[in-house]
Amino acid sequence: MISRAKVKQANRMVREQLAREQRRRRTVIVSIVAAAVLVIAGLVGWAVYANQAPPANYATPAHASKDRTGIPVGSGPVTVDFYQDFLCPICKQFDSQAKSTLDDMLAKNKITLVYHPIAILDPSTNPPGYSTRAGAAAACAADENKFPQYFQALYDKQPAEGSAGLTNDQLMQIGASVGLTDSGFAQCVTSQKYAGWMAHDTDTAASKNIQATPTVLVNGKQIQNTVSDLVRAVG
Amino acid sequence: MHVIRLWGGTLARLVLGVVFAVAGWSKVTDLAGSGRAVNAYRLLPFSLAKVIGAGLPFVELALALLLLLGLATRFAATVAGVLMVVYIIAIASVWARGLSIDCGCFGVGGNLAPGVHPNYFWDIVRDAALLAVAGFLFLTPRTALAVDRYVLGEA
Repeated sequence: MISRAKVKQANRMVREQLAREQRRRRTVIVSIVAAAVLVIAGLVGWAVYANQAPPANYATPAHASKDRTGIPVGSGPVTVDFYQDFLCPICKQFDSQAKSTLDDMLAKNKITLVYHPIAILDPSTNPPGYSTRAGAAAACAADENKFPQYFQALYDKQPAEGSAGLTNDQLMQIGASVGLTDSGFAQCVTSQKYAGWMAHDTDTAASKNIQATPTVLVNGKQIQNTVSDLVRAVG
Repeated sequence: MHVIRLWGGTLARLVLGVVFAVAGWSKVTDLAGSGRAVNAYRLLPFSLAKVIGAGLPFVELALALLLLLGLATRFAATVAGVLMVVYIIAIASVWARGLSIDCGCFGVGGNLAPGVHPNYFWDIVRDAALLAVAGFLFLTPRTALAVDRYVLGEA
């Protein structure tokens, strides 16, 4: 004779067993759904990025270097690559320290100075994107053979990190101050003709592990950002 | 004891959820920069680093959502823990190779300017602490104020 209490207990055990099974099954299903959510999130990120990525056929400024990523000045035997971001204060500092030395080396035809504007500080203005706009405007100046002059003028008027940066109108006015007064330059700046070129420059530099500014290479070899190191490396 | 596990787990979810939300959000607005930050570790070819850099912020945000909701908590804790282990290994390897980078954990990233010293030690301490929190959550996935209570049934 089985007691009533024992039957009750057995029933309860079966119920609990079933509930545990059900919980386990639900946990597995919920975990699979959660995993799918994470995978989809990752794919969404990739899709968003692929959508933002610049087109493969982008405009390259006139007089760009052979690999299309820089604006060369001079034609000396030693190549000095200067990677800079127009928002970067240390770039401005290095440029002001090294300018006379670089000008002298150019005058003596010792170096080819290749400027590489890159945009790694785009998030550091509000709204973002000053680095790209400034670099693209400088490429417009390169079209008219005024890159070095415009480069200096942009650094003279460098906005602070965290600020709004300069407007396209201000970028045009700075152009006017170095003689870029024609409508072609203004049109080039407003249309951001070379924004895609900036994105490719930045990407190409990153693929060479150059993602800090300023970065200076002498004949392909990175040097310390000091005038004395520059002089020693160029020889 | 039961109460401690219940609400301790909730606290663990909130801590991890907020950290992943902040980390993901800081990178999601600059996916190209995020790819460069991954590339700065020099562990992956640039093309792969770009994919990881674009996907990771969204994965972190989705994971933060799971944790804050308390949905699939044990699974989310596992993923959080695995991510922390990956981050710790990556930072340690950069440290061991003597590279000078920003970990890019909360945006920025990339090589550091000369004279700026990296923070690898504290980055690793932080990630190890978060790994411990994820471990605790893995062991106590049934937490208060969690969607799991409704979806999975009472524990």
